[in-house]
Amino acid sequence: MAGAAHSADLLDTIKSKKEIVVGTEAQFAPFEFVQDGKIVGYGPDLMNLILADAPGVKVKQFDVPFQGILPGLATKRFDFVVTSVTMTKDRAAKFAFTVPIADATTALVKRKDDAALTDPAGIAGKVVGSQAGSAQLKALQDYAKKLQAEGKPAVTIREYVSFDEAYADLAAGRLSAVAQSLANLATLVKTRSDVYAVIDQPIGPKTYFGWVGRKDADSASLVKFFSDGIARAAKSGQLQALQTKWFGFTMDVPTDSVPAPEL
Amino acid sequence: MNADTFADRLAAYLPVLLHGAGMTLIVAALAIVAGFALGAALLGLSLHRQGRGPLARAVALYVSFFRGTPLLVQLLMLFYLPSAFGVDLPPLLVAVLAMSLNSGAFQSEILRAGLAAVPKGQIEAAAIFGLSPQQVFRYVQLPQVARAVWPALVSEAIDVVKNSSIVSVIAVAELARGGRQIVAANFRPLEVYLTVGATYLLMTGAIFALGAWLGKRMGQGRRASAAVMNRIAINKT
Repeated sequence: MAGAAHSADLLDTIKSKKEIVVGTEAQFAPFEFVQDGKIVGYGPDLMNLILADAPGVKVKQFDVPFQGILPGLATKRFDFVVTSVTMTKDRAAKFAFTVPIADATTALVKRKDDAALTDPAGIAGKVVGSQAGSAQLKALQDYAKKLQAEGKPAVTIREYVSFDEAYADLAAGRLSAVAQSLANLATLVKTRSDVYAVIDQPIGPKTYFGWVGRKDADSASLVKFFSDGIARAAKSGQLQALQTKWFGFTMDVPTDSVPAPEL
Repeated sequence: MNADTFADRLAAYLPVLLHGAGMTLIVAALAIVAGFALGAALLGLSLHRQGRGPLARAVALYVSFFRGTPLLVQLLMLFYLPSAFGVDLPPLLVAVLAMSLNSGAFQSEILRAGLAAVPKGQIEAAAIFGLSPQQVFRYVQLPQVARAVWPALVSEAIDVVKNSSIVSVIAVAELARGGRQIVAANFRPLEVYLTVGATYLLMTGAIFALGAWLGKRMGQGRRASAAVMNRIAINKT
């Protein structure tokens, strides 16, 4: 199909090799997680929907911790990252994001029996956790600075390897709250409604989750392939159907272009 | 997933954890066996020219590198470095390779300590009795070295099983990763990690029991090898 003048880029190579190598952190329900030994969730469903446009291409999916995802992409261990990566200025400077797949705006989760904490500003003077290196941690840090500038007591921030450990410490009473995207918290609270409750107000600016490719000419058409696929799914209503399936609600995401990150 | 009792949930965990335990055992078993072969080879190389040649220095460098850096760093280097040069090794192969290279360094030092435990006088005495160097190795050194290093080798095998819990950083879904995957979906860390811990204990307990049983049989072998020594001595006189 490619013309003679057109040298084969990554997308052409994937189509001719009939294999795409994808990096995923399958520890982020309901976006991507493991059920009965298989990686499932909103992300894998959307990926398979889009890959229907590249018939015959098989997916080789590696499940690695989040800290290994972007390094693995940079060293060409993976062709592409299908895991929910929050768009930030730092990441956008080094990698190419697709258009958003979901809202990543940060909110707080607390223990259900903690009646004292009712609004986000209530974390002043308390201990709050999040995942090291995450955009949600950055949103929490910015929010804590804002509270302090208003003259409120300082927030003590603890960083965890994964959100699961932060949730565990929240349940154990060592934390007052955990900062995470509202989309993830909805699933946490649905699964463990006996323990957790969401403080239903965002902290920090509006952010989005996207998928990521390398920022070079070789990867450009592959990133565009996925961006176009996401935009088409949004127009046809399939994206919203998948959101209802996995989150129980739909999110407003701009799929015409990649929004400039505020965080 | 939302099963009510712990027993119901445990039934849902078991397939994932058993699959992970199988992967743990595969990685650990290969690493222990390959690590032993590598350890023995390293020791042989380091004894070359009475341990004073360049080979011995190279072995010492190897051992200090693999004992002196974290296994996690070794894993990540072996996984990400080759792909930066266009060589793609499958994760399972990298996991076994890194763990074998690491365990080989430790096992060579264990074997070295065992060899040092046989007094020189015995070897000289055996030579005076007319035993060939092969016979000295087979009947004098090997049985004593094996008995001396056995407890340390069993403990190294247990270490390898536990160390394998970090190979998930390069996408090998072993037992610990299986536990994390379950926690990521059901948010019940305590009971899942307790189950994972119990499964590790079962595996390391089995190694310990097998090691103790084999060690006891080796003790019985001591009398047998003494009998052989007597026969050789009688034949020679």
